[in-house]
Order: sequence, then structure tokens, then C-alpha cells
Amino acid sequence: MMRYETFIEKYRWWLIVVPIVITFLAAIPLLKTKINPDLERYFPEDNPAVQSKHKIDSLFGNSDPIILIFETKDVLNAKTLTRMRKLSRAFNRATEFERVISLFDTKQIRGEEGMMIVDPVIGKTPATEADREELRQEIRGNELAYKLVVSEDFTKTLIILKQANGVTDEEAIRKIDEVLLEYGGDETVLKGGSPYLRKHLNDDTTRDMLTLLPIGLIIMILFLAISFREWKGVFLPFLVVILSIAISLGFFPLMGWELSVITVLAPIMMIAIANNYGVHFIARYQELNAQNPDWTMREITREVLSKLKSPVIVTGLTTIAGILGLVVHILLPARQLGVAAALGIAFALLFSITFLPALMMVMKKGKRIKSLENETGFLHKSLSWLATRSSRRPYHVLLVFGSFLILAAGGIAFLHVDSNAENFLPPGHPFRQATNLINNEFGGTMYMTVLFEGDIKDPTLLKRMGQYETTLEKDPRIGSVTSIASVIRIMSRALNDPGDSAYNRIPDSREAVAQYLELYSMNGDPEDFEDLVNFDYTRALMTVQFRADSKNALDEVIGEVEEITAKDPNRTIIGGFCVIDKELSEAIISGQYNSLILAIAIIALLLVIIFRSATAGFLGVLPLIYTIIALFGTMGWLGIKLDMATAMLSSIAIGIGVDYTIHLFWRLKQEIATGKPYQEAIHTTLTTTGRGITINALTVMIGFTVLFISSFLIIKYFAFLIIFSVLICLLCALILMPSLSILMKPKFINPKS
Amino acid sequence: MNIKQLIVIAGILLPFITLGQDPKEITKKAYDITDIDAMEIVSTIKIYDAKGNERTRQTATATKRFGETNKVITQFTAPADVKGTGILIYDYDNRDDDMWIYLPALRKTRRIVSSEKGKSYMGSEFSNADMSTPNLEDFKYKVLGSEKYNGIDCWQIEAVPVSEEVADDNGYSKRISLIDKKTDFMYKTIFYNFDGDKFKELTVGPYEPFGNGKYIIRKMEAVNLENGRRSEMTIDKIQKGSSLTESSFSPSALEK
Repeated sequence: MMRYETFIEKYRWWLIVVPIVITFLAAIPLLKTKINPDLERYFPEDNPAVQSKHKIDSLFGNSDPIILIFETKDVLNAKTLTRMRKLSRAFNRATEFERVISLFDTKQIRGEEGMMIVDPVIGKTPATEADREELRQEIRGNELAYKLVVSEDFTKTLIILKQANGVTDEEAIRKIDEVLLEYGGDETVLKGGSPYLRKHLNDDTTRDMLTLLPIGLIIMILFLAISFREWKGVFLPFLVVILSIAISLGFFPLMGWELSVITVLAPIMMIAIANNYGVHFIARYQELNAQNPDWTMREITREVLSKLKSPVIVTGLTTIAGILGLVVHILLPARQLGVAAALGIAFALLFSITFLPALMMVMKKGKRIKSLENETGFLHKSLSWLATRSSRRPYHVLLVFGSFLILAAGGIAFLHVDSNAENFLPPGHPFRQATNLINNEFGGTMYMTVLFEGDIKDPTLLKRMGQYETTLEKDPRIGSVTSIASVIRIMSRALNDPGDSAYNRIPDSREAVAQYLELYSMNGDPEDFEDLVNFDYTRALMTVQFRADSKNALDEVIGEVEEITAKDPNRTIIGGFCVIDKELSEAIISGQYNSLILAIAIIALLLVIIFRSATAGFLGVLPLIYTIIALFGTMGWLGIKLDMATAMLSSIAIGIGVDYTIHLFWRLKQEIATGKPYQEAIHTTLTTTGRGITINALTVMIGFTVLFISSFLIIKYFAFLIIFSVLICLLCALILMPSLSILMKPKFINPKS
Repeated sequence: MNIKQLIVIAGILLPFITLGQDPKEITKKAYDITDIDAMEIVSTIKIYDAKGNERTRQTATATKRFGETNKVITQFTAPADVKGTGILIYDYDNRDDDMWIYLPALRKTRRIVSSEKGKSYMGSEFSNADMSTPNLEDFKYKVLGSEKYNGIDCWQIEAVPVSEEVADDNGYSKRISLIDKKTDFMYKTIFYNFDGDKFKELTVGPYEPFGNGKYIIRKMEAVNLENGRRSEMTIDKIQKGSSLTESSFSPSALEK
């Protein structure tokens, strides 16, 4: 049988051309694909909260509105009112929105000398100061408008827009920009509501990430060039990274999958993981070149390949196993990411042991690196010092690492789960200003809906709904509660005189309720109640608008609404985006724990099989577990919340954490096999393979520092956590593992002992 | 005279023939033939939502003209929960209507005010304007041409509101009606929204002779093309004239 090295040598040209062709073919469909920013569509359909929201949305339309805030000295001034009237008209005419709520759409239901009057809050624009003050007084008394569409001090007014079915965030936002541009004005405009939050998170963060990453790549290239002082050292590892990014991303259109925000993680994972193999090849080649000046490039490559192919295959397999942990993820795009990233790594691995050595064989041999020859480089000296310290004082190392772990683990107690994606945006961001305004001066940005089914005209049901409203409105976090019950109560004020027993209350008979509504339908708009009650009065929706600045507050309000309405025989479901958000982020995080445990177990098992040793399994996953505990603990200490995005980072830690250790053990085993004592073997390993590991880790760390420029907190956290994970993995491999092997002298490293 | 010359002459004359028809006059005639001084009717309104759910209202109405004012009194007979609810309308020629309503559950008569003609009639797809004679002066009229409707030769007449305010009050940017060239029956009206798209179709007929050159409309249907809602009004019983005196058309009489 042909030796593997000979096979590579013989077919080198094929092995160079075929991968390049494959990559090009994989990349072609990418040119046509677009990123789909709508994550909501991927929410698991079997989740009860998702089903509830779908049901309520299908009955009463979108319950997740866009909120525009207009701010000026006095919103009742003629100019602002004229603009608001034009805007309201334009939005009402736009087919993108099924419902517009503004000063000009909100109704005023009042009684005047025995008359019931239903009119828009503002009819004619007040011409005089006196008219304006009269209008102001009127609005103050209108509980459908005051503090809901106009702020208490009349400096702000809202336009609330509900997207029509099938209209995407993008389409709605484009229309809003168009209308605002057409009817311009001096008022400060802020835009809030989940559709804008999704837009900012998806578009802006993705854009930031995708513009900053290439800069990071350039910095990584520069760093590799400085470290290796040879263009091969830059070119080869990066070629593998680029090829694997193209293949993993190209896999999406090939499978008919859409690119989403989560897909952005694929190139990040490739950058962090896939250059690892190439870096080790270059490091080993330079080492052999320095030691054997008379070898040819082909001889060197054959030797590198025979020494590195096994550890590279093992690190590749463990990484793939770790990343495949994502296939149990709750979100479809995350599952797809797991498969695509695993595939990318598989190709990176394949290219590293075929394409890369084939290329090396046709390249000219580079100059020998002087510092490697006479062992004078800074990196060499530092690694050499580390090797000596860790092998002479292993207990000190254990003490330091142990104390750090205990310290860091303490932080896990402070680790909070957060689902409020607003916090990802920087504090001064216009969206957060909008949210603060809505929370402080209006009812709040969160919406929850409670569905009641049965005979909605039944006064006993309406009275119960009224009671829930009164109880809920006592909570200062709840800004408003609206339902058909409150509207009927308001009607009773128009139809009855104060002091009358029927004034300001839901009437006692079903007939009276029906007649109130009939009366309204004759002078109001039949669409006025469309989001409160359905056509045949068999379903009614109660909408709770509230503010929650923390996960705790959110949980409490959701719990309160649940509890207060729980015993109602007519209450069927509770919905709202915030409920989905809460449940999903909880599910995603617990799912992430599961995939972590699964990945660690699989990696341990793989190592046990490969090294035929249980100790190898334990030692191999130790840095991984160490890194994850340190990561979560540090997040706790620093107050970084655990959310969908940060939780997924642990998968990257898994991808790289085990690689460094495997390379280290493999070399150590090889060195000990040549008869070297432990201390010397560790010294050689650290100054040779350790050099590759260090260059690899530093490249990734330096590359990701670029993301700190981003204005988005989420990207900064991302960068910090990746750098932190890589650093801990590196320290574990270079310091903790050598000390542990000195202490334990495990059999799998030294079979003869 | 050869054919070519004929065509040229026809081409020159045709616009004048069409222009010769006063679109406002045609529209006025179409309204006038259904404007009846006094009658009593029983009618049913059925309102359907897009899913086909149905709401039914049954009413008994008497209408009689007293001088310049057309007075209409309507009483709900079904469904049970609104039975007995009464509505009284004074339809003035030159100013906004007056309207009173009696709610039996409250045993009270209330006056309601509404100036918006585009508002819904009893929560149906018919607007208040569809139910009464619109003010002719609020619109500018134009003959667009001729069209066959069920084989009948009709004028196509466009009516555009004279101002933004009128447009907003009525809730549409223009309407196009098909009016029978011979009989002046208005069979169909299409309403356009502010984007210039069709949003409502009103179909009227059959017409039945009522004496004195007047006609009664037996059935009307309005379809909202935007939200799929549809309303249908049929006249079940008609009686010429009304024995009711003017005092029966007063707010206090509603409560009986």
C-alpha cells in the first residue's frame, strides 16, 4: 500500500486544483442569496407561547406595534397638529398598516346635554389660544388618549402603527421613512417598538460585524506575517480559512436554507478555528527547516505530514463533535449553523491534510528562521521559561489555576439570564431613548394580550374583565390595560349622567350592552373595536401595556397577568412577543447547557477511544470545562447577561478548547517516545508545538480585538468573550496541562512507564 | 360622402354628443327617481365578515316628508338583544342631519351627532351617504363614456369630491357610477380609495315601479374589496305612504 505522504506527493496538482474548484462552485450560489432578518419566522412552531401569539395575531392582527414619538414644546401647536393630521392620513392610506392610532384616529366618547358624541380627539385644528386650552382640557379627560397618545405635559405625541398581515419589518420601515420624508417637520422623531429593535439588532449589528471582520482578518494576517516572518505562514493558513468559510456558507443555499443573523457566526467560527491546522503545519515546517538545513521542501513536507496528520485529524474530529452539539438547539438557524460549521471544519481538516501539504510540496523552501536555529526569539524564551516553571513547580500552577477557578466559579451565582434585547444597543442609541420615553411618559413598550372566549356581551364576563383591569392598573409598571370592557364603561359615562347608578359602569343586562354597542356602531367606525372584539362578539382581547427594565420585572408582570386571570372560565390564552421572548430565551439557554454537556461527553468519549485511555478523556476535556466555568463565572462578575447570543459562544470555546491540548499531548507523546525525560520533553513540546499553539491563539485574539470598535454592546461582549475563551484555553494548554502531566505521568503519553 | 369623411365627422361630433349630456343632471335624476315622499318598509340588513360570519339586523322604517325636512323613523325588530331600539333622523337639505336614538334597556332617548358621511350605517359596509341623497354640490361630475351593464346601455359617470374635506368626510377619492341611459337607474357604483384603487362596490337593484314615476330599490349590496366584508340590504315589505302624523316623528314618540 502506498504511504499517505507518497499519495499526497504523487497527486499534488490534483489536490491543489480540485479544492479550489469545489470552493468556487460552493461560493457561486452565495452571490444570489440575501440575508433574511426575520428571526421570528424560525421560532419553533410547537412552542405554546409561539402558538398563542400566532392564534391571537390571526384573530386580532399584529399585537406588536411600531411606535413613533414626536417631540416638541407643545404638540397642540397648529404646525405640529397639521403635520400629525397629514401623517395620520398618509399612514391610514398606506396598505402596509392595518391600524393607525394617533391623536387623529383616537376617539373621544363623551356625553353632552344628553347627547353621545363620538369624534376623533381632534376635529378642527384650534385656531386661538382659548381653543387650544379647551382642547387640552378635553384631552386630559379622555382616558383613551391622555398618556396613551399624548404625554402628560403635552410635549410628546405618538403614532402607533400595526403592520398588516404579511408585511415585513423592512417594508413597513421603508414606508414609514417615505411618509416621514414627505411630511417633514421640526419635531424630533424617535422610533420604537419590536420591529425597529429587530431591525437595529439584525441589520446594524450584522453590518458592523461584517465590516469589522475583514479588518480583523487583515490584522490577523499582519500578525501571522510578523510571527512567521515568511509569506507561506500567512498565505497557507488563511487560504484554508477562506476556503472553509466559502464552503460552510455555500452550504446554506445548496440546502435551500436562508442566511440569517445567526449565520454570521459561521465565518467567525471558521476564523477562530480553521486556521489552527495550517498554523501548526507552518510552525512544524519552520522547526524542521531550522534543524535540517539540507532537507528539500518535499522531504520536510513529508515529515510534517507524517507527524501532524494524526493530531490534526483528532483535533478536527473533536471540534466537529463539539460543534454538532448545536443540532439539538431549539432554533432552526442555530441547528443549520451547527451542521454548516461542522461541514466547514471537516473541509478545513481535509484541505489541511491534502491541499495544504500538496501546495507546500510545489513551493520553494523558505529561509531558515534564525531565532529558531539559535533559540533566541522572545516567544521561544517566554515558552521556555513557562516550560521550566510549570514542570518545576507543578503544585504552584495547580494552586493558581485552582484558586482562579474557585474565584471565577463564584461569579456563576451572579450570572443572570436576560431576554431584553434592548440592552444590546448602546445607551445613547435613539432606539433606547425611544424606549425610555415610552416607558416613562406613556404606557410602556411591552405588550401582552389575554384572550377571552364566550359570550362577550355577557355583563358578568365584562365586569370580571373590568375588575382585572382595575387590579392590574394598580401595578405601577403597568401603563394601560384596554379591552372592550373599558370602552363600554366609557360609553356608560356618555349615556348616563354623573350620579346615575349606570354611570361609569358596565350595565347589568346583556340587552343594555348590546344596545350601547349598537349605538356606538351608528356613529363610530365599525373598525374601532376590531382589535378589542371579534365580529360576532365571541372573542375579546385584553391588551396590557407595561414597562419592564429587567428580566425579573418582566417575569413578575407576566406572572401577575397569568395569575389574576387564571381562574376565569372564559380566559383561554395569553400571548405577546414578550412572553415568547421570555420562554424562548429560557429554553435556548437551557438547550445550550444540554448541547454543552452533550458535546463534552462526546469529546471525552472520542479521546478515550483514540488514546485508549480514560485519563486522556478526562485530561482532554478538563481545559474545556475549565474555560466554560471561567467564562460563565467572569460573565457573572462583570454583569454580562447570559442571552441567546452569548450562550452560543460556548460552542466556539468547545471548538478551540480541546485542540490546543490535543496538539500538546501528541507532541509530548512523540518526544517521550524518543526517550527524553518528562521535563525535557515538556520543554521541547512547549518551544515547538507550543509556539504554533501560541501563534494560533494570539492571532485569533488580536483579530477579534477589532470588534471592540463597534458601538454595539453585544459585539463588544462577543469579542471580549471570544478573546477570553481563547486566552483561558491557551493558558490551560501551555501551563496547566504540562504541570498536570508531570504530576500524573499518564500512561497514554508514556506507554512504557 | 365616403366612409373616411364619415368617420372624421363622427370623430369631431362624438365628444360633443357625450359632453351634451350633463353628468350632474343625470346623477340628480338617478337620485330623484328613488326619492319617495312617504312610505313604510320592513327591511333586513345582513353583514358578513371575510370568513362568512353573519350578523343580521331587521328593522321597520317609516319615512315622510314634512316641508323641507325628510323625517325617518326606524325600529329594530331583531335580533332580540337590540329589539325595540329606535332611530329618528331629520334629513335636512342644507345642513347636517339630526339623529336620535332610543335604547329600551336604558329607557332613554339620546341624540347622537355625526357629520361624517363616510361613517358606517349600523356597522355595515353601507355608509350613511349610501343610505341618503348626497349633496350634489359636493362633487364634480364627468361622463367617462358608455358601458354595458347586464346588456343595458349605461353612462359611466365619475364624481370627484370638490375638496379634501369632502373627500375625508365621505372616505373616498372618487366614485364611478353606471346609470341606465334610458331609465336613469343607478345600477352600480365603484368607490376608489386615496391610492386610487377600487375599495368598495355598491350594487343596486332590482328597481320596482312605485307610482308617480318613482321607483323603489328592492336590494342593495356593498362589498368592501379591502377587508372582504360584505353587507346586503333587502326590502321585505313595502307600503305606499304613511298614516303617521308629524308628532310620531318626534324624539318623545321613539319611546313608544
